[in-house]
Amino acid sequence: MCGIAGVLYKQAGDHEIGRTLIEMLDGCQHRGPDSTGFALYGEDKDLLQLRFIVPTDAKARQDAIDGIATLLERHDATIESELSVGCSYQISVNFDGDLLAFTKDIEEHAKLVSVGHTLDIIKDDGTAHELDDIYHVGEVRGTHGIGHVRLATESAVRPEAAHPFWATGFEDIAIVHNGQITNYWKMRRRLERRGFTFHTDNDSELVAVYLADKLEQGETLDSVLETAIADLDGTFSFLVSTPNEIGYAKDNLAAKPMVLYETDDMIAIASEEVSLNRLFPGQSINSTEPAPGTYQTWSRSI
Amino acid sequence: MVTIDLSHTSITDANQQIRDWARDGQDVEIINPDARHNIGVGLVDPITVRIKGSAGYFCGGLSDGAHYEIEHNAGWAVGDNIYQGSVVVGGNAGAIAGVAIRGAEIVVRGNMGSRAGQVMKAGTLCCGGNAAFMAGYMMYGGRIIILGDAAEKVGQDMSAGEIFVGGKIKSLGNDTMIVDMEAHERDEIMEFLERYKLNYSGDFTKVINAGKKLRYANAEPRSRPQPFFVSSKSSNYWNPKVQEDIWIKGEVGRYRIRGYGASKPVPHLNDIAFARDVTTDAARPEELKDINLKTTVGGRFGAKPLSLSMPVMIAPMSFGALSRSVKIALARASRLSGISENTGEGGMLDEQRAEADQLIFQCLSGRLGWNVKDMQRADAIEIYISQGAKPGLGGQLMAKKVTPELAAIRGIPVGIDLRSPSRHPDVLGADDLVIKLQEFREATFHKVPIGIKMGAGRVNDDIKIAYKDGFDFVELDGLQGSTGAASTEVLENVGIPTLSGVQEAIDGLAEIDAGDDMDLVMMGGIKDGVDVVKMLALGASCTSVGTAAIIAGGCIACMQCHVGTCPVGIATQDPEHEARYDIDRQSMNMHRYFESLRWQIAAITKALGYDDVHKVNRGDLVALTPEAADITGLPFRPEHRDTRRPLTGLELLDRQAG
Repeated sequence: MCGIAGVLYKQAGDHEIGRTLIEMLDGCQHRGPDSTGFALYGEDKDLLQLRFIVPTDAKARQDAIDGIATLLERHDATIESELSVGCSYQISVNFDGDLLAFTKDIEEHAKLVSVGHTLDIIKDDGTAHELDDIYHVGEVRGTHGIGHVRLATESAVRPEAAHPFWATGFEDIAIVHNGQITNYWKMRRRLERRGFTFHTDNDSELVAVYLADKLEQGETLDSVLETAIADLDGTFSFLVSTPNEIGYAKDNLAAKPMVLYETDDMIAIASEEVSLNRLFPGQSINSTEPAPGTYQTWSRSI
Repeated sequence: MVTIDLSHTSITDANQQIRDWARDGQDVEIINPDARHNIGVGLVDPITVRIKGSAGYFCGGLSDGAHYEIEHNAGWAVGDNIYQGSVVVGGNAGAIAGVAIRGAEIVVRGNMGSRAGQVMKAGTLCCGGNAAFMAGYMMYGGRIIILGDAAEKVGQDMSAGEIFVGGKIKSLGNDTMIVDMEAHERDEIMEFLERYKLNYSGDFTKVINAGKKLRYANAEPRSRPQPFFVSSKSSNYWNPKVQEDIWIKGEVGRYRIRGYGASKPVPHLNDIAFARDVTTDAARPEELKDINLKTTVGGRFGAKPLSLSMPVMIAPMSFGALSRSVKIALARASRLSGISENTGEGGMLDEQRAEADQLIFQCLSGRLGWNVKDMQRADAIEIYISQGAKPGLGGQLMAKKVTPELAAIRGIPVGIDLRSPSRHPDVLGADDLVIKLQEFREATFHKVPIGIKMGAGRVNDDIKIAYKDGFDFVELDGLQGSTGAASTEVLENVGIPTLSGVQEAIDGLAEIDAGDDMDLVMMGGIKDGVDVVKMLALGASCTSVGTAAIIAGGCIACMQCHVGTCPVGIATQDPEHEARYDIDRQSMNMHRYFESLRWQIAAITKALGYDDVHKVNRGDLVALTPEAADITGLPFRPEHRDTRRPLTGLELLDRQAG
């Protein structure tokens, strides 16, 4: 039960994506006061960026960080830089092996929440502005990003249960989701048989894994979204982002809200128009509400 | 024309200013609306509000007589529940435009979203562009005009009213049909379009209800009254009641419907005892006056709380399920005993309002009888999500009870088997509920406590949502809670017992460190003062009695509630039957029953060693069965079954009298 937001600037460059998403999420924070999260796409870095959720207690935190170091050694990944802030531990590593095997092993022992060369996922308990105070989200610049505010309904309030979810095993893919997947267990078992592992009981993680699985098989984002609407039961509006695209999918019942606004320069999508209007205060914008059972994707110029 | 700038005025302040100007007949202009929610909610004066930009959810909602002009777009549920008045949207409208309107004119010049006109009762909803899917979903009356195309399932599950579509219809909904339009209908539409300056000269396709599903195909035959306490006494799998049940299913080919609650044995308050012998320290009546029983409910966010003389309310029961006379008697008894009455589904009666000092007004999914004027004269508001008798399902009111008077107050066609929707049109999740709650607060000026009524299902999750969404109180109803009509299988099998419900609620709130500022009102099988004290000791702040109040007021449990042929005039709308009900006598019976609760609650509180009933706690209780111990975590003390049995109500009264 949540609010979602996404923005993509069509021209390459250095846009204030962090600040933009903070505004949009603050606009719909009433939909989800428990936790907030951002998936932000900045410049393409040579090193692989990993972000983990680690305990806040000092000793447990150091143990977790030491554990991560051991894991990385096992896979010949070397840490080039690190930052320990809030509930998270972020590192840049040199790694050129099999990413799927690498992340699968790591995920069994540590709470890995973001993997990619352009993507960084920042999520924690608290509001958009509270996260900005800790993680300086507003300073992040890039081309696009998606974000989420969460009101926990069936799973606990913990940073790792917050959105966005990284698409396990597949770098630079993230999703945010508002709604409820009712064939969760059926789909989860199906994916588990294909070798995927689940780290929460959150149905949004399922969406991420589902998409990763299809993308891994070489499908385009458009075709993945099309099959997602057919395969996933329930009420949902979700956003997905890749290094160059964002897209949405909306359930057949249109039970969860979503509006979008597109200009020559950008596309902004949110649960409520009040979030879009934050970007254009005092103006009337020609937003549209996508029809039930539809999807669409947008790419940035490269 | 006065101007209010929303870029530096909160919605609550803005709405207060709009109301103040409205009383002076002054029109208002809103600048910088930026799609904020709940603009102009709760207006009951005939002014015009001009919104210079886009509005968010519920714009103009819960109003009567006002006019709204939105220059650009509107969010979900524009014009929610408006009686008289109008809303004109210059751009597009989101989902459920014109939801539950009772006479308003809603014009959307652009396109409108899904489920437009859901549960509308009267008035006109007109769209200049295209309508998304399920336009006219579950509508009970009124007129929808769509000049563009209509998407899938037009008129899905509509009971009455007309939908006129100028463009293409992608598909029709359940139980609908296309009929020829009458000449006067076209003239009336053209007059309407002219008035709102909408140009259209094409034809229309008229969609109405086909009438095949408004009534159950087969009525249940009348059966010989079989008193509930006889039929539910046996624990055998096979008994005459089961046999009769099967015979009747063989005849009607569907589930059966009955009143009352679950009859199967489940762990309950009888499986819990007081840890000390409360019989040895019986107080004299005059000593009980000093025991504090006063209870307030709903003060969490500064609204004026309900102020009850003891931790007891009357449970929500509708005018519809019950006769007008019984609702009046309940209201009077509530006043005489200093407790609260509750409208249940189906609207507020003037006599009920006049008789009750404290009245809770309940909002259900069908918005039957729901309106802003009664909200503003209620002492508390309660949004119904579900009830213990039938969690997840809507109410059922069989045709015999849907009389012209009752249909008028609810805004529905006469004589249909009314099956209320199971979901609110504008609450599809905890997130939407936050905005809905805010709409209610705006319509009642943040002065009236707002609670949520839930059937006990997944309480541990639900209670956290209720707390986080910001409700002032929760009324939580266990499996044993009764109803006027529900399917027997649901009554017996869906939901969890009241005892499990209260424990999950307490645990859930503790898990999120919620403290005790959100009042928890427990109901479902509360029959005497002993139960009330046990419930408070378990952690509830108040209790609610429905079945017990009705029995005190003359119910003989003959199980004709759903049929509407109640011989004592309680669960009926038949004037001949209702004439048998003696309001004066039965209201006094109920009042005396409530006073017996008061005496018991005070006596047990005193015997437990307290001067205030709100001091009783879990340390005062033990469990008599392994099941009750497992559910509640209370110490298992089977030895208390014999030696320290708590007094029954009658025993206690005897002892007091002696």
